[in-house]
Amino acid sequence: MTQTLVPTVADRLRAIVGSDHVITQPDRLVAYESDGLTAYRVAPRAVVLPETTEQVSKVLEVLHGEGIDVIPRGAGTGLSGGALPSSDGVIVGTARMNRILSIDDQNRLATVQPGVINARLTKATEPYGLYYAPDPASQSACTLGGNVAENSGGPHCLKYGVTSRYVTGLTVVMADGEVVRFGGAGLEAAAGLDLVGLFVGSEGCFGIATEIEVRLLPKAEGVRTLLGLFDTMAAAGHAVTDIISSGLMPAAVEIVDHATIVAVEASVFAAGYPTDAGAALVIEFDGTEAGLDDDANRAEQCCLAAGAIEVRRAASEEERIGLWKGRKKAFGAMGRIAPDLLVQDATVPRTRLPEVLARITEIGEEYGLNIANVFHAGDGNLHPNILFDRQNQDELERVERASREIMTLCVSVGGTITGEHGVGIDKRGYMPLVHNEVELEMLRRARWVFDPGGNLNPGKVVQ
Amino acid sequence: MAGTPVTLKGGSLAGALEAQRERLLPCVHCGFCLPACPTYNRLGDENDSPRGRLHLMLAVVEGRLDPSSDAFQTHLDRCLGCRACETVCPSGVEYGTLLELARETATEARRPDVFSRALLTVMGSRALRALFFLGGRFMRVTGLANVAVRRLSGDGIAGKLRFALAMLSATEEAGLERHGRASGSGAWVSAADDGSSLTPSPPVGSAGVLHGCVQDGLYARINEATARTLDANGFDVRVVTRQDCCGALHAHGGDLTTARRLALRNIEAFERVGVDWVVVNAAGCGAAMKEYGVLFEGDAMEERARAFSDKVRDISELLVSAGPRVGAPVECSVAYDHPCHLMHAQGVTAEPLQVLNAVPGVDVRVVAKADECCGGAGIYGMTHPDLGARIGGDKVAAVRDTGADLACTPNPGCMMQIGAGLRMEGASGEVVHPIELLDQSYQRAGYYT
Ligand SMILES: Cc1cc2nc3c(=O)[nH]c(=O)nc-3n(C[C@H](O)[C@H](O)[C@H](O)COP(=O)(O)OP(=O)(O)OC[C@H]3O[C@@H](n4cnc5c(N)ncnc54)[C@H](O)[C@@H]3O)c2cc1C
Ligand code: SF4
Ligand code: SF4
Repeated sequence: MTQTLVPTVADRLRAIVGSDHVITQPDRLVAYESDGLTAYRVAPRAVVLPETTEQVSKVLEVLHGEGIDVIPRGAGTGLSGGALPSSDGVIVGTARMNRILSIDDQNRLATVQPGVINARLTKATEPYGLYYAPDPASQSACTLGGNVAENSGGPHCLKYGVTSRYVTGLTVVMADGEVVRFGGAGLEAAAGLDLVGLFVGSEGCFGIATEIEVRLLPKAEGVRTLLGLFDTMAAAGHAVTDIISSGLMPAAVEIVDHATIVAVEASVFAAGYPTDAGAALVIEFDGTEAGLDDDANRAEQCCLAAGAIEVRRAASEEERIGLWKGRKKAFGAMGRIAPDLLVQDATVPRTRLPEVLARITEIGEEYGLNIANVFHAGDGNLHPNILFDRQNQDELERVERASREIMTLCVSVGGTITGEHGVGIDKRGYMPLVHNEVELEMLRRARWVFDPGGNLNPGKVVQ
Repeated sequence: MAGTPVTLKGGSLAGALEAQRERLLPCVHCGFCLPACPTYNRLGDENDSPRGRLHLMLAVVEGRLDPSSDAFQTHLDRCLGCRACETVCPSGVEYGTLLELARETATEARRPDVFSRALLTVMGSRALRALFFLGGRFMRVTGLANVAVRRLSGDGIAGKLRFALAMLSATEEAGLERHGRASGSGAWVSAADDGSSLTPSPPVGSAGVLHGCVQDGLYARINEATARTLDANGFDVRVVTRQDCCGALHAHGGDLTTARRLALRNIEAFERVGVDWVVVNAAGCGAAMKEYGVLFEGDAMEERARAFSDKVRDISELLVSAGPRVGAPVECSVAYDHPCHLMHAQGVTAEPLQVLNAVPGVDVRVVAKADECCGGAGIYGMTHPDLGARIGGDKVAAVRDTGADLACTPNPGCMMQIGAGLRMEGASGEVVHPIELLDQSYQRAGYYT
């Protein structure tokens, strides 16, 4: 049962952030009981919405003094339950910390508050011919604070790398309210150890990032986007392996399976994928104009050699956006075919993709579950989407067991339990699959260095 | 750690919402709708986000939240009903429909305030409405509304009254005649001179125009312009008597019973005349009438209502289907804003701009963030003065930033809201409907003689 906050504590928080920005009434806490992972629901004791680093610092000082746990929250799009509240904790949300503080086009750097939405940063830097490279499929909604905490990736991270490659400086409020600065002004490896690198991916367990400095990239001169349509996932999987091993360097290679195609085509974002195709690949090349057509032609040959029924090419920016839509909106579109959805996230060596996909289909059949696949094929980052109905208790248990089997499978072929969504609460139980006790202890100690009292996002990642 | 999977509790106080579990389930909690929501963007509270509001509805349906609770009442009430969340939702969640049903449940659980009830009563009755708008026109003609906007203070009751009167004074006709005649020589070319079609194309069907409540009361000129421009584009315009208010205000306010009564009257009136198209020049009314089928879901009337809805078109859609004919120049610049109930509820965005394209000389400047609500949302400015003023203020600033001569938007509610906002800031605040410009252009081209 959720405990309410002692009135005096609530009053002190209100004095810091203003009374409208502290939520304590139980009725109003319901909206915060889940993030993007709806299989779990826990209402927090309170939600605090500060606006500045200073306010975050004071809020954390009060909560720390009272020994109250803190759950940082961005947009709540996380898929591993990272922002899932605990019933005795308080959410500190960054929704009001949404200002872009500076754009330095000369040095190609931007500094933002953590609540700034990923896509908004790219939009704001467009006039300078720049953009922010990591592009999670949720980029229109997720925050940069969440991206930093999860070390998020996206389709184009195949070529450009994930969030950690772009974060150059951080202002962080520690559990006790102390404000510290790591890196800054483009100096990734500041004097001493790389604390920025350590913080990125810390899933809200090390501190609250309140200012984030990131590196921007100049927009590529040209882009070519292909859509390869296949009869089977296996054929598409082979095409991926061939493209990468032929030495091509695509910016993105994404795969969408039959079930997903059907869901997307039934949604408002219908992208014109034929619904009888067994799988679709979205392949993109970008860079200087010279050579792009060559690359695209070679990729097309790889697809055809692997048995593609058809390869389409986007002729305009609109067509390109259309081809991507089917991929980017896939998760939401799944809501059309099932009430609930568990998105798994695991990485396997690319060469093992075809066999792993085949085995996942079998696991689905064994447990009587529908599994739809849509993922970053280029770097072997799988996202099996298990469809279910939470009202069916028996199905819920089968989902649990199937998930575990998929994870074990991925680890057994040399993969790992997360590609980009983080461990959070959902995959905490799988940690022993990839880490031995010594490593787990190191993780606990690293956490202790930042948060000796264990008040930040307790129960997440490792126990 | 309390991360137990959820089990459902039985029991429900959910009333109208109860039957809507199926409509709620497609929401996968992805959060894509959050950045599209004007209230969430300004308040940062997830209870004031689309996903949060849907979650509150689900909690009511699941019997975990009382519909009379502060959370359910306040946060649903604070929703603008702009449906920007629907446009971005990959799961196709029918937020607008759910909102209406949730509001019915909310008003059953707790009576809305006197002010809102009074307004719905007035709009739901032809006689009261006539009286109400007569008073309005009197205040407008005598200039009393304008004086009051200048004199009243901005706080409390006086502030609300001032805003209401500013909305009223914003319905004044813009002096379109003066634009593009600076030389006084009638220097514009007639459409005939540049070879564009002057002879009307053969009739493209019969059309009846919805008069509406606010349009009929304060914007009769727009209804007339609608009929004239349709006629000039070859439509056979028929007079449809005994029609009524579309019921959108009632539906949005949770009074679905009155909304159905009004809808039925309109269905009967238009069926009686037997037109091919039901033409609407108010985005809010058009959206509601295109959804009459949903309003009568599960009722014996459903099929008839759906057939009616299939005939409903925004005036811009119909004109674009027939061309529209190009008129004579009206030299002016307009700041164009998309009405939510056209863009998000009906998915109509290009057509009004195409209509403006048929008026040579108009320099159309789409305002920044034109996809965001102006804060009009019925009488939001009066029921939520602070938040309404913030949302409205941002829109007014965006309109002023264009530096255009006039504001232009195809929905009376938004015209009043934007016009009021401009007037409160002391700007001239002229706002036109695209049809008014087309009508002026046609007059100059001599299409009506
Ligand atoms: C449809 C969909 C598609 C997705 N696609 C991708 C994808 O392609 N790639 C990918 O990597 N992820 C993807 N995700 C997952 C999710 O969007 C990312 O993990 C994202 O970074 C989370 O951001 P958020 O703002 O929603 O954070 P939240 O979910 O609110 O929080 C995530 C974690 O970050 C912590 N946190 C938040 N803000 C801060 C802060 N300022 N300081 C410290 N800790 C903080 C929280 O405590 C939590 O542990 C997807 C999600 C959805 C729903
Ligand atoms: S975008 Fe749609 S599916 Fe996603 S949270 Fe909003 S309403 Fe739900
Ligand atoms: S209708 Fe508008 S105000 Fe209401 S939840 Fe949707 S986006 Fe927000």
